[in-house]
Amino acid sequence: MKICLLSYRGNPYCGGQGIYVMYIAKELVKLGHEVHVVAGPPYPFEENGVIIHRISNHNYFNKGTNFIKPHKPFATLQPLNLYEFIAAKFGIFPEIETFSIRAFLKLKELLKTHRFDIIHDNQCLGYGFLLIQRLGVPFVSTIHHPLTIDRSTWFEHPSTFNLKMKRILYYPLLMQKIVSNRMYRIITVSHNAAFEINKAFGVDQDNISVIYNGMDSTIFYPVKGVKKKKNSIIFVGNVEDRKKGIIYLLKAMSLTRHPVTLTIVDGGAPNRSSVPRLIDKLGLNGRVTFTGKIPIDRLIRLYSQTEIAVLPSLYEGFGFPAAEAMACELPVITTTAGALPEVVGEHMKTGYLVPPRDAPAIAQGIDFLLDHPDIRSTMGKAARQRVLEIFTWESAARELVNMYREVINAYGRF
Amino acid sequence: MPRPRIFGYLAVLSTLILAGLVTYSLYLLTAENIEYSGTDLNKINNFTFYAVALPLSLVSVMVIGTGFWIGWTILTIKVVPPMPDIADKKDYSKIKAFFLCLFTLCLGALLLYGISIKNFWALAIPAAAISLVILGAIFWVGIAIITTRSTLPEEKK
Repeated sequence: MKICLLSYRGNPYCGGQGIYVMYIAKELVKLGHEVHVVAGPPYPFEENGVIIHRISNHNYFNKGTNFIKPHKPFATLQPLNLYEFIAAKFGIFPEIETFSIRAFLKLKELLKTHRFDIIHDNQCLGYGFLLIQRLGVPFVSTIHHPLTIDRSTWFEHPSTFNLKMKRILYYPLLMQKIVSNRMYRIITVSHNAAFEINKAFGVDQDNISVIYNGMDSTIFYPVKGVKKKKNSIIFVGNVEDRKKGIIYLLKAMSLTRHPVTLTIVDGGAPNRSSVPRLIDKLGLNGRVTFTGKIPIDRLIRLYSQTEIAVLPSLYEGFGFPAAEAMACELPVITTTAGALPEVVGEHMKTGYLVPPRDAPAIAQGIDFLLDHPDIRSTMGKAARQRVLEIFTWESAARELVNMYREVINAYGRF
Repeated sequence: MPRPRIFGYLAVLSTLILAGLVTYSLYLLTAENIEYSGTDLNKINNFTFYAVALPLSLVSVMVIGTGFWIGWTILTIKVVPPMPDIADKKDYSKIKAFFLCLFTLCLGALLLYGISIKNFWALAIPAAAISLVILGAIFWVGIAIITTRSTLPEEKK
């Protein structure tokens, strides 16, 4: 099969969508398919057998003043770039929409030399996709979770009127609702995400396929011979992403009996604003360490040096950090929100589940697991076993191929 | 002077001149005409008037509608109350959102009323606003071209 994957950000370090594209592309190639990836910056890494087509983008939304490229000084005055520039200055996030239009132009060009059997988008859903559907190739899209959840969890935090205005403008919910209802099939990564997509965008449940993400257990594994730091916990995620629920973990730290120390693996200093203030307020100075962006091998080592991973999320469409920690045989304390129970499994067997937004329950969980090293060890081993059995990229790719065939056959009948 | 920088200066100068002309022609020159020479849009053919008024009012209604939608979302969104430890300031955003809704509703009604009676300002203000936003963006880009390093860093060469 000749498959074209689309991703407006393709690098695995830019979040779950980059990881998804990298592994899915790799596994589809292993299964003998020809895979092309049309991606925006940051671009995906070169992989054996994966053909990457790069789509440029000026990233006007994140660049304040330094947006002129010396070798292309007039690029901003091109119509699509100028639209992106003006929209970004008004606080709108135009990258998704402009990527979809650029992807349409790129695909039009590629289809002259390649006959794709299917086009598979990854969480973009821009208006340009309505044009891509006119190209005569079956077109499906993966939604990891609907952005309505990001918006509502963001609103849980007190903020100024201006910030709230910016957040409402930021999320392209109307566009994603319109486009998602016009796709041949929506793929999502958990049953909970399927339910939320139906609730938020009104996509028919029969048109949604659930295919779990995988976890690379050859990269994420327990490093032998590494000594655990006493009373240590780890949180992996963007602390400014309100749905990650870091504030409840910090509050929990002020309630535990044990003097726990927390390592936060986050995106780096520019992505921290409110959390350091809360650390001061709760008197946790000296007990919290930020690592910023780190390479994977250091992250794995950190997992191996730590006693417990905590993921206090208010929502996760899948929850990669939970699966990563589980693959490293680390007991995970997480919430019953979103897809986390689907990923983590049974309470007290493969993980420790608490209600979302419940700091005392998190504190109780930390104290309980620190008091019981034997349970920690059994839970960690069972967690890795669960990951090995259920969450592999190979089975994700095989299920995708079956779904592609189904869609192509149905498309052929029209 | 490098060529891009010359074009940057040209962009800045031309947008400044155009912005000045838009403002002068729409507000100063025509205001006098309205007052003293009696320019009346009712005398214009309906087709000509609506050919300009419809796209302009559609864009304006979209912008005003977005403002209303923002206010309405802030007013009506249902979320879990924040954790007491982080709620240190009083949140006045609902009150502001109410006034934003009220303001945009009044503005929208005024615009549609203005269009319906073929008022000059109902066309002039949105036209000037749209023109100035586009000219402002080009001006901004021009300034950025002028002030950006014109040589490539070593690794880009």
